[in-house]
Amino acid sequence: MSQRTERRGGIHVDQSDLLCKKGCGYYGNAAWQGLCSKCWREEYQRVRQKQIQDDWALAEKLQREEEAAYASSHGPQTQPPSQSTPPHPQPGHASLGPFSKFEEKKTNEKTRKVTTVKKFFSPSSRSAPKKETQEGKTPSPSVSRRASFDTDQVSKDFVDFLKNLQKPGREIHKQCRAFIGNMSSKKDLSADELSECVQDFYQNLADRLMGHFKCSSESVEQVMDQVEKYIMTRLYKSVFCPETTDDEKKDLATQNRIRALHWVTIEMLCVSFDEEIPEVSENVVKAITDVIEMDSKRVPRDKLSCITRCSKHIFSAIRITKKEPASADDFLPALIYIVLKANPPRLQSNIQYITRFCNPSRLMTGEDGYYFTNLCCAAAFIEKLDAQSLNLSPEEFERYMSGQASPRCSGSEEDWSSPAPAPTNPVLAQLNQNLEVLSGLSGRQEALMEAAHSLQADLLSWPESVQHEVHDILKKYPLEVLPRSAPAIDDNNDVDNDNLPPPLTPQVV
Amino acid sequence: MGEKLPQVQGDPQLRRDTLSRPVRTLRAKMVLLGSSGVGKSSLALRFCKDEFRNTSPTVGCAYLTQVMHLSDVTLRFEIWDTAGEEKYHSVTPLYYRGAHAALLVYDVSKRDTFIRAQVWLRELEKQYVAGSTVLWLVGNKGDLAQHRQVSVQEGQSLANDRGLLFTETSALSGDQVDKLLLAVAHRVYECVGAQQGGLSEWQETPHVDLRRRNHLFASCCKVGP
Ligand SMILES: Nc1nc2c(ncn2[C@@H]2O[C@H](COP(=O)(O)OP(=O)(O)O)[C@@H](O)[C@H]2O)c(=O)[nH]1
Ligand SMILES: [Mg+2]
Repeated sequence: MSQRTERRGGIHVDQSDLLCKKGCGYYGNAAWQGLCSKCWREEYQRVRQKQIQDDWALAEKLQREEEAAYASSHGPQTQPPSQSTPPHPQPGHASLGPFSKFEEKKTNEKTRKVTTVKKFFSPSSRSAPKKETQEGKTPSPSVSRRASFDTDQVSKDFVDFLKNLQKPGREIHKQCRAFIGNMSSKKDLSADELSECVQDFYQNLADRLMGHFKCSSESVEQVMDQVEKYIMTRLYKSVFCPETTDDEKKDLATQNRIRALHWVTIEMLCVSFDEEIPEVSENVVKAITDVIEMDSKRVPRDKLSCITRCSKHIFSAIRITKKEPASADDFLPALIYIVLKANPPRLQSNIQYITRFCNPSRLMTGEDGYYFTNLCCAAAFIEKLDAQSLNLSPEEFERYMSGQASPRCSGSEEDWSSPAPAPTNPVLAQLNQNLEVLSGLSGRQEALMEAAHSLQADLLSWPESVQHEVHDILKKYPLEVLPRSAPAIDDNNDVDNDNLPPPLTPQVV
Repeated sequence: MGEKLPQVQGDPQLRRDTLSRPVRTLRAKMVLLGSSGVGKSSLALRFCKDEFRNTSPTVGCAYLTQVMHLSDVTLRFEIWDTAGEEKYHSVTPLYYRGAHAALLVYDVSKRDTFIRAQVWLRELEKQYVAGSTVLWLVGNKGDLAQHRQVSVQEGQSLANDRGLLFTETSALSGDQVDKLLLAVAHRVYECVGAQQGGLSEWQETPHVDLRRRNHLFASCCKVGP
C-alpha cells in the first residue's frame, strides 16, 4: 500500500493512513482516532466498560481507605465496613433515603422551588423528544481515559477534604456516592428533571449539615463547593448538553450566527477598547482565551471562574483605554464584542449547564453571578442583534450579513456603488484582486451553466420535434397500399433478346 | 428625604435569633435601572465611595459592594449597575431576577427619562409578586433646579400610586445619597422580618439557616464588615 503514495501541495498522504487502524479494510476517520465507525464504536464501548469497572474499583478502594481512616481515628467502636455499603434509595427520589425525616417537608418546598428554578433558569426542554442513542456525540476513547483520570483525582481530593470533617465527612461521602449511583439509573430524565434532582440534593445536604450537624454557614458553603465539584465531575458526561434537549441545535445556531456577524467592529458596538495600546490588546486576547476555556471545564463553578476572569480582563482593557473604571454601559458592549470575536464553543450548552447545575445563589447574586448574567445578556443580545442595535441602516446590515460587502475593506457607504479605492495593504490588494478574479469566474460559470441548460432543454425537446415532424409527414402523405398488378415483363415478348451475344460455350483448348 | 425611616420590627423569632449570636451579615442584591445618562453609575460610585478605595483597581464600577450596619444586622449590598441604552432593554430582566431592591432612576431635568422609568416599572410589575422586592423611585440630578422638567410632586405621586418609595438625590453633590442607601437597607430588612415567606420567590440558595429558609437572604458570613 505504501508505494501508492501521493504528493500533493506538500502534504504527504499515504493510502494506508486513510484506512481503519484496526485493519478491517474500511476507511478510518481522524475524528474516530483513525478507526472506521464500526471499530470506533467497539473501541469506545470497550473503554467505557473499562472505565465503569475502574470507577467502581476505585470507589471500593476509596471506601476501604476511608473506613480504615475512620477506624484509626475513632477507635474500635466504629461500625464494621460491611455496614457502609452504599444505600440504595428508592428510585424517584434523588437522595431521600437517609434524609427521610425531611422528606415530607421537602416535597412541599420542592414543588415551589422547582417552579421558580424553572421559571428563571431553564427554558423548558421537557417536550424535546428523547433520541435513541448517546454514542454520536461522545468524546473519543482517549478523552474518556483522560477524563477518567481527572475523575479519580477529584475523588481522591474529595475524600481528603472530607477526612478533615470527621463524622459529617463520612455521611457526606455516603450521600454523594448514593446520589451518583442513583443518578446513573435515571438516564432518560429530561434536563429540567436532572437539574431538579441535583438542586434538591444540594439543598437537602446543606440543610442536613446546618440542621443535624450544626455546621456554620461558611463551612457549609465550603463543603457544598466540594460536593458540587465531586458530583458534577462525575455526572458531567451524562448531563452536559443531554440528548433530551435541543442545546446542541442552539449551539450550532449561535455558532453560525456569530460567524455571520464576523464583520461587526468595535465602533459599531461603541466599545471603549483602543487596541492600538498593546496592554489593551493583550487583555482582549486574554479575555477571549478565558471565555473559550470555559468549555473545557467540567465543574459549573470552574466555568463561572472562566467567565469572571474574562470579565476582569475586559475591565482592565476598558480602564486602560478610558483611564477610568468601567461602568455597566462600557462593560456589556465590550463583553458582546469579546463573545463575537471568541465564538466560544458550545456557548448555549455551557450557559444551560451552569444554570442547571450550579448553586443558584451563585448565579443571581455575587460577583460571579453578575458576570454570568452579563454573559447571558450578551448571548441573548447577539441572537436579537439587528441593524438598529449597531447603528446601521437595514440595507447595510443586510449587505454585511450576506457577505456582499465588508465594513473593513472600504470606509464609507458611497464607496459601495463605485469601485472601492485601491487599498494600501498589499494583502488587501491581493484579496481584492482574488475577489475580482472570483467574481469574473463566477460570471463565466453562470454563463456556462445557462448555455448548458439551454442545451439540455434543446436535447430534451429534440426527440419530440422529430416525432412531430414524422407525424406531420405521415399525415400529409398517408401511406396508400395499391392493389398488386400483373408482372409487366413477358419472357415471350423479349424483343431485345436478338441483340444479345450468343451464350458462351465451353471450349476444349 | 421627606419621609421617616421605616422602623425595623421583625417578628419576635427573628429578633431572638439575631440577638443570640454575633451580628449577622446578610447579602442583599440591589439593581440600578434607568435610561442612559440619568446617573446610575454615579450613584453606584457614591453609594460605595467608602469601599471604593479598597476594591481591586482592575474592577470597574459595574458591580460594587457596600456594607450597611443596622442596629441588629449588617447588610452587604451588592450593587448591580445595568447598561441603560435602549437596545439592551430586552435583556435587562436577566439582571433583576433575584434582586432584593431595585432603584428606578430618572433625571429630573429630562422628562423622557421619567416616562422611561414608568416603562421600566410596568416591566418590573409583570415580573414581581407584590412585596417581594423593594422598589424605589429615584429622581436624580436634584441639583439642576433651573433645568427641572419633572417636579417633586410628580415623582412623589407616581410613587404613591404604584406603591413605591421615592427620593430625590444628587449624585453630583451627594445630597440624600447616603440616606437613600440606609433607608433601602432598613426597608429590605424590614421586608425580611415582616413577610414570612413573602420573598421566598427569590430564595434559591441552599445555604440558608433551616428556620429562615423562606427568606431571601443567604446567611453568608464569608465577607465581614
Ligand atoms: N448635575 C448632575 N449631574 C449628574 C448627576 N449624576 C450624574 N450626573 C452626570 O450625568 C452624566 C451621566 O452619568 P452616569 O452616571 O454615567 O449615568 P448612567 O448612564 O445612568 O450610568 C455624567 O456626566 C454625570 O457626571 C447629578 O446628580 N447631578
Ligand atoms: Mg452607567
